[in-house]
Amino acid sequence: MRESSKVIGYILLVFGTLSLILSIFYEHVILAFIGLGLTFWGALLLFIRPGKYVKEKLLNTTTLPTLADINQILAELEYQGKPTYLPPKYFTNPETCQIYIPKDKNTTLPTPQETKKHENKIFLKNPEAALIIPPGLSLSKLFEKTTGKSFTKTDIEHLQQNLPKIFIEDLEIAENIEIQTKPSKTAKKLTDAVALIHLQTGTIHAKITNSVYTDTCKETETLPHIHAAIGCPICSAIAIAITKATRKPVTIEKEQTNGRNIDTEYRIILEE
Amino acid sequence: MNFPLSFWDISLWLAVTAIILLTTSELTSPYYGKTNLLINKKRLKNAALTTGTLFLITVAIRIYEIITST
Repeated sequence: MRESSKVIGYILLVFGTLSLILSIFYEHVILAFIGLGLTFWGALLLFIRPGKYVKEKLLNTTTLPTLADINQILAELEYQGKPTYLPPKYFTNPETCQIYIPKDKNTTLPTPQETKKHENKIFLKNPEAALIIPPGLSLSKLFEKTTGKSFTKTDIEHLQQNLPKIFIEDLEIAENIEIQTKPSKTAKKLTDAVALIHLQTGTIHAKITNSVYTDTCKETETLPHIHAAIGCPICSAIAIAITKATRKPVTIEKEQTNGRNIDTEYRIILEE
Repeated sequence: MNFPLSFWDISLWLAVTAIILLTTSELTSPYYGKTNLLINKKRLKNAALTTGTLFLITVAIRIYEIITST
C-alpha cells in the first residue's frame, strides 16, 4: 500500500511536469490544467503517505502477557489491598506516577515523605506494599506529548475538553470519549460556592467508545488484580491523567466493557 | 512560449481543488468514525486548508483590484 502509493505519486508527478512543459511549449490551456492537476495530486500522494499501522490483534497479544505477569505476581504474594494511583507529589520526579498496592486491605495510604524514601524499590516494608509502574504510563506520556502540556499543569476541565481530541483526532485510538464528574455524597450537600471540592472528593466516569483497546480490556476481566484495580492500559492512562490533574490519589472503582464501549469509574481519594 | 493559464484560471483551479480536498478531509474525519482509512489525515487536512487559503488569497486580490479600480 505504502510503496504503490509512492510509485503512483511519482508517475503522476512525472506526467504532470511533462504536461506542464508541453503546455508552455504549445501554449495549450487544457494541457496546462491537466499538468497542474497531475503535478498537484502526485505531490499530494507523496505528502499524505499512509502512516504505519499495526493490527488490533497485535496490540492484544503484546500487552496481555505483561498484565498477566503482574496479576500472577500479586496473586502469589497474596496482595489484597486496593491499588491506588499516586500523584507526582509522592515522588521526587515531578512527572512520574506509580501505583501503590498494600498487602493488607485495611492499610492506609503512605505519606509523600514515606514514598519518596523508597520510590526506587518495588516492595516496601512496614506496612508491606508494592510500588509498581502503571501499564498506561507510556500511553499517558504520549497524550501529554501530543497536547504539548503536562497533565500536572492542568485540571479536570482541561482533561474533559482535550482528551476527546487526543483520542479521536490525534491518536485515533477511539471513536469517542466522555468524561463526567460526579460529586461525592458529602460534597452534594455543599453550596455552589464551595462546589469545587466536588472534583477533589468525588468520582469520575469515563466512557470510551469503540477503542482499539476494547478487546485488551475485555481480556483482562479474567485477571482479578488487573480488572477494576490496576486497569487495562487505556484505563490506566486515564487514571494517571486524572491523578496528575487533580494532584490526588485515584483508584479504579469500576471497569466494564459493554460491546465496543469501556465504562470506567475512578474515585479521587481525600488524603488524611 | 508563455504559461497559458492566467491568474484567474489558477484561482478557479484552486477553488475546485480546495472543495474536493476539504470535502474529502471532512468525510474521512475520525469524528465520523472513519478510523480505518490508512492515510495521514492530519496532512490531508493541512493540504486542504492550505489550498482553501490560497484560493481565498486570490479572492482577496480580486476584491482589492475591484476596490482600487473604482
